[in-house]
Amino acid sequence: MRFTRTALAATSIAASALLLAGCSGGSSQSSDSANGKTTLTITVWNYKQTPEFKALFDAFEKANPKITIKPVDILAQNYEDKITAMLSGGDSTDIITVKNLTDFGGYVSKKQFQPVDDVAKKLPADKIPALADYKADGHYYATPYRQDFGVLFYNKTMFKDAGLPDPANLTWQEFAQDAKKLTHGTKGKKVYGAYIHTWNSMVQGYASAQAGRSLNKPPYNYLSTQYKTILGMQKAGTIMKWGVANSQQVSYQTELETGKAAMVPMGTWLIAPLLADEASGATKIDWGIAPVPQLSAGSPITTDGGPTGFGINKNAKDTAAAKKFLAFAAGPEGAKAVASIGIVPAYHSDAITDEYFGLKGMPQDDISKKAFNPDVIKPDGPTGARAAAVNNVLNQEHQLIMTGNKSISAGIAEMNKRVKQEVLDQ
Amino acid sequence: MTTTADRPTRTGPSRTSKARASRLRRRNTLVGWSFILPNFIGFALFTLVPVIAALLLSFMRWDAYNPPTWAGLKNFQRLLGDDSFWTALRNTALFAVGHVPLTLAISLGLALLLNQKLRGIAFFRVAVFFPYITTLVAVAIVWNMMFDPSSGPVNQFLGMLGVAHPPGWTSSTAWALPAVIITSVWKDMGYYMVIFLAGLQAIPEEYYEAASMDGAGWWNKFWNVTLPSLRPTTFLVLVLLSVQSFKIFDLIIVMTEGGPGQATTVLSQLIYQQGILQGNFGYSSAIAMVLFLIILLVTVFQFKIQQRRER
Repeated sequence: MRFTRTALAATSIAASALLLAGCSGGSSQSSDSANGKTTLTITVWNYKQTPEFKALFDAFEKANPKITIKPVDILAQNYEDKITAMLSGGDSTDIITVKNLTDFGGYVSKKQFQPVDDVAKKLPADKIPALADYKADGHYYATPYRQDFGVLFYNKTMFKDAGLPDPANLTWQEFAQDAKKLTHGTKGKKVYGAYIHTWNSMVQGYASAQAGRSLNKPPYNYLSTQYKTILGMQKAGTIMKWGVANSQQVSYQTELETGKAAMVPMGTWLIAPLLADEASGATKIDWGIAPVPQLSAGSPITTDGGPTGFGINKNAKDTAAAKKFLAFAAGPEGAKAVASIGIVPAYHSDAITDEYFGLKGMPQDDISKKAFNPDVIKPDGPTGARAAAVNNVLNQEHQLIMTGNKSISAGIAEMNKRVKQEVLDQ
Repeated sequence: MTTTADRPTRTGPSRTSKARASRLRRRNTLVGWSFILPNFIGFALFTLVPVIAALLLSFMRWDAYNPPTWAGLKNFQRLLGDDSFWTALRNTALFAVGHVPLTLAISLGLALLLNQKLRGIAFFRVAVFFPYITTLVAVAIVWNMMFDPSSGPVNQFLGMLGVAHPPGWTSSTAWALPAVIITSVWKDMGYYMVIFLAGLQAIPEEYYEAASMDGAGWWNKFWNVTLPSLRPTTFLVLVLLSVQSFKIFDLIIVMTEGGPGQATTVLSQLIYQQGILQGNFGYSSAIAMVLFLIILLVTVFQFKIQQRRER
């Protein structure tokens, strides 16, 4: 009896010790220098559903046979949280994919990335406008491979049916008028002239870019013009109400593809899924892209957008190989690889544009080509170390204004007050 | 002499037996501990250490990456002047005030209703329990659509009843929280109903027979037999519900994300926002400490009341 008890106690202690050992283990060695081959680890999201990563990695491995890339796949919805946890735990993945400028501000302020000035300086800055977005305190901390920006997706057939000319160069006022002419039907069969998605950037991003202002700090009074336009459309019933779009979790892609809305201002990331759905027969609409409507007529085409890029982890195992990859992804070869699957690369050139418009199903008209080369691309949200906190306030007040719980002026006054009190003063 | 000779024989055995007893007790304690150990190590590693770390962090500034710096009481000072914190605190309290009594009453009512010997009663019990085993995300998304202000079934039904201006539910700052409460009551009632059912079935039939002999009607039986006998169950449900209400997070994240504006932002969501999303782990730990204190106080208060009643 005594023996069994002691034995039991011993086993339970041993078991818990094993448990503990299991917790502390698990560090992995990524580089394998024995046969001159290097493995580069890169964080990605939804690897299977995001073909740009594979396209880019395959092209790089082909050009650098001695380097193999091992993607670290993370669920897109948890990407930011997971990266935070990984980096805090001293993770040594070589390259971190930077999803947006808001996250970028966080990485830089926490000093989690190595400066990559040497890579950036060798790149043709005039052909990669988004490169400048990754400069902080005089240093580059990442390089872009992809740059999306807002364009106006529209249904060509619906414009023809309404007897309207294609929306070549609209102002927001004209956009609202066109939307009115394109709206018809009632109840379940209602077709809206336009669809404005629920994100705060859909109003605030364009407004700040076209007013030449930044969303980083108050005053935000310049936003009121754009809010008046969009709320006016909501009231006129030419766009779906924010509350409805939000509670039904409406998909902007479906609104366009099923012909429920004639115009959808959205990022160029929508092009690739549209092409895919066209190829598979999931949608049959005749679509095109146009420059996003402007604040005033005759101004240079100004839109908002943001780069996606790569940064090198401070704890990276192989910095040299990582830098090689960054240069490749940001340059013409990387651009060719991503453009071939319908992703807008950060590197601009006529050759790349031709490659892009050579994709099966791409609209071939001049308006679409013009829309693809806007004059100015500004960030679509706040940037810098406090970006996430500022955006949180802007988004909350956006919801209140769009649902009519607050007037435009009260909402903007609250933005001015809260961003200062809750973020900038802390 | 005899007395001196007697003494050791009298005290001897008792002393050794005392020593043996204490050795046995010690060994039993050790064996007991060793049985608890695996569980305790898990608890210590994943609960106790993080809790203590959070307590320390609430006095620091930390971005989860660079070394933390001492901040003293600054995080708590910031709390006092932070409107978002007070809004979240108010929303959390309102949620609890709505969710706890409603769920308690409805699940008790359902338990009474379904505690009958009836053909097919099992089916109805399962039907009521079903929401509890449904994935929360699915529940939140479907209810969100039901609450759609213009074409949702809830407002269409209200319109049929003749309500001219039905509420805007999740797009209205006044009605978003009630919408979340209704959803969570619907989801949780089945679970607590099962606990109440178990409690009801443990009440001896003789009590009711005796009450009938005394001429008690349905209401008297319920008030004087059922409720007092259910007191331990009610207490358990009350504590579980309160803790759950103050910790509410998942449903709100999926259903409203705290919006519109901050109309449904609760404390646990603010903790997540400040810590994970914005990298202010010190400040978020300070909020977590406040939430911890509130839950602790509420639970201790409930225990005190229960103890007094039992006496």
